Amino acid sequence: MAAVKQTVEHVESLEKYKHGFVTDIEQDFAPKGLNADIVRFISAKKNEPEWMLAWRLDAFERWLAMDEPDWAKVSFPKIDYQDSYYYAAPKEKVGIKSLDEVDPDILETYKKLGIPLREQEVLAGVVGAPRYAVDAVFDSVSVVTTFKKELAQVGVIFCSMSEAIREHPELVKTYLGSVVPVSDNYFACLNAAVFSDGSFVYVPPGVRCPMELSTYFRINAENSGQFERTLIIADKGAYVSYLEGCTAPMRDENQLHAAVVELVTLDDAEIKYSTVQNWYPGDPETGRGGIYNFVTKRADCRGDRSKVSWTQVETGSAITWKYPSCILRGDGSSGEFYSIAITNGRQQADTGTKMIHLGKDTRSRIISKGISAGRSSNTYRGLVSAHPKATGARNFTQCDSLLIGKHCAAHTVPYIEARNGKAKFEHEATTTRLSEDQLFYVMQRGLSQEEAVQLLVNGFVKDVLQELPMEFAVEAQKLVAISLEGSVG
Amino acid sequence: MSIATAIRDRDVAELPGRRDEDWRWTDLRGLIRKLPPPSEPFTAGVGDGPFDALAAERRVVVNGRGAEPIEVPRDASSIVAVRFVSRGAGVHIARLNIFLGANARLVLLESYESNGASLSEAALNITLGAGAVVERVVLAQDHAEAVSVSQADVTLASRATFGQTTVASGARRQRLETRVLHPGGQASLRLDGVYLLADKRHSDQTTVVTHAGTDGVTAQLTKGVVRDQARGVFQGRIVVEEGADRTDARMGHHALILSDRAEVDAKPELEIFADEVACAHGNTVGALDEDALFYARQRGMPEDDARALLTEAFIGEVVDRIDHAGAREVVRAWVAERLRG
Repeated sequence: MAAVKQTVEHVESLEKYKHGFVTDIEQDFAPKGLNADIVRFISAKKNEPEWMLAWRLDAFERWLAMDEPDWAKVSFPKIDYQDSYYYAAPKEKVGIKSLDEVDPDILETYKKLGIPLREQEVLAGVVGAPRYAVDAVFDSVSVVTTFKKELAQVGVIFCSMSEAIREHPELVKTYLGSVVPVSDNYFACLNAAVFSDGSFVYVPPGVRCPMELSTYFRINAENSGQFERTLIIADKGAYVSYLEGCTAPMRDENQLHAAVVELVTLDDAEIKYSTVQNWYPGDPETGRGGIYNFVTKRADCRGDRSKVSWTQVETGSAITWKYPSCILRGDGSSGEFYSIAITNGRQQADTGTKMIHLGKDTRSRIISKGISAGRSSNTYRGLVSAHPKATGARNFTQCDSLLIGKHCAAHTVPYIEARNGKAKFEHEATTTRLSEDQLFYVMQRGLSQEEAVQLLVNGFVKDVLQELPMEFAVEAQKLVAISLEGSVG
Repeated sequence: MSIATAIRDRDVAELPGRRDEDWRWTDLRGLIRKLPPPSEPFTAGVGDGPFDALAAERRVVVNGRGAEPIEVPRDASSIVAVRFVSRGAGVHIARLNIFLGANARLVLLESYESNGASLSEAALNITLGAGAVVERVVLAQDHAEAVSVSQADVTLASRATFGQTTVASGARRQRLETRVLHPGGQASLRLDGVYLLADKRHSDQTTVVTHAGTDGVTAQLTKGVVRDQARGVFQGRIVVEEGADRTDARMGHHALILSDRAEVDAKPELEIFADEVACAHGNTVGALDEDALFYARQRGMPEDDARALLTEAFIGEVVDRIDHAGAREVVRAWVAERLRG
């Protein structure tokens, strides 16, 4: 009776946010607030070379001159950037040689996460555990990177950003900030100044990365902003699939998360980037607490015939404000964006993508499924543009919104800019509520209202779930159901 | 941010521009460095208007002068042709109020005619009583150097019906903006547009439809053909407010780009705050269907004729939706002349 067991678990999880717990481990804090000295402090803490510090200070200078943007369909109290900690690292135990020596509290935290990917076993060193390489980011610092050796054998570099800065400065210097320039936007600029850690991946020419790479972001310390910086480079003919999963503990203060993810694909290379985001969405009644997820994700399909595919399942965060984008620069390059965004309670999401066609015969495909319930607001915002030189550019966009309840909102704001007679763009969008007829039909066959809604919603998002790597898809399907608990009846 | 306030304050910085979200593709501030001279009266003849033969009543607003309100009393019906004529290089501002009593009917045949580098703004306020019916056909045939903006604010009482077709050939900058508010229930709206642009002309068709009452219906279809270095802009926004249940809104925008350097920018928006609704939009931008072209040529039709035939058929779908037979034929001839010329 797996289904019954699942239901029981769901109901239990309704009691409170499952991942809302705090692990008490000793932390190293930078003093509260933000100034040039804090930037120096972070850089010094991480033993960074001089050029990196200069890069950060330059970003900080630019950030001071910028204004916070306010054009998104989200509202939140003004963020006091001086009232946050910008660096919090778990206290290092000198000379960790094996996982056994990792702080047991951290291992306990992984256990409590419910673990979609069984990384727990991997981390615990279980023999025969699935082959995932996990770079776990525990409050801003990579605690452990597994499978590094196996990856190194085929030449794949998978490490924390701070390690990459030390060990592979040429690659970092060449690519860091080349997709998302330092002063691209307010939050990306802030990230450039104070980013704490993140993942770095380099896949050499012609190599197909032998395993799914995965990272875990988890915001732990109170009031500490999380500023990851991720950089993935797929050299000519390379392929890599990268999974990012997120959970965060329950908290009353709003927490700012301003990450930057940069992807670079050279000729014939492909990157598949999948995200499941399940951060604390705030109190469903009052909207208090919850994460601000203001992330800049962008891919540069620099090489001919290169490809980037973004898949995201966004169910958490009080506010989600992000647009994973593709710059289709190489001739024949292609970009894909598959998204499920679910908002419930008082959540707000303004998310979508940008497909910028610069090269000839570039193709892009956007499938976005938005579901709003409760008193939430869900916006799809996207840009598709074709440069005059992008002859033969082709885009297909489909964005569907589903409304559950009288007080939620769903918006669709697509921008289409065609500067080329040989480009072909198609866009379609629908907004409806769950069909009464379908609900009736399913319930008539003995399903409860909640089960019926889950079934229909899973059908609605199926197109996107199919794009997720297998092990994520199963988890994501459950996540969809859990996110909508309590939204009907 | 409007032309009127910029004129009043004699300050070009108050013109709407790229940084204003609703004007991002129709940048007047970046274009106009110096305001044209103030409007002068024009007393010479202005010739015939495109709809003169169809109308029972003819109004001519020249250089912003002569915009007397139009009132159609309860249960009455009327056909009025209104011409907004700009002569000379001045700044011309016109305001026109139109009222319809309950169950009144009006066919409003409107035209914009400029002959030089003028800057003109026409603001219309159209108020429909319960059950009133309006069909508005707008023919915007501006001069290539003109900057012409028309904004209509339409308010529909319950059971009112409003149908509109705007037809534009562009100008240096041209904008036809329509804002419709459905506060009463069961209102019905058709909002169509056509743009045929060549050379360096620009045309912007912007619509904002707000459903505040229940059981409202909106059907929108805009089609455009751009060639040379022309630029077509379509911005459509449908807002369904909380409580506006059983709203049915559909929006379509389809454009053909017939040259390498022409541009089409579109933003079809849906903003929904109610759950018992069915809303959809579709948007396509592309070239003429090569297969259809091949088919026509294979049957002995010269390429130019085949292109004209296909584009006419493409635009014809919108023209066919005009109710008033006379106006429909005027528009059809106008379209054919531009596509074949």
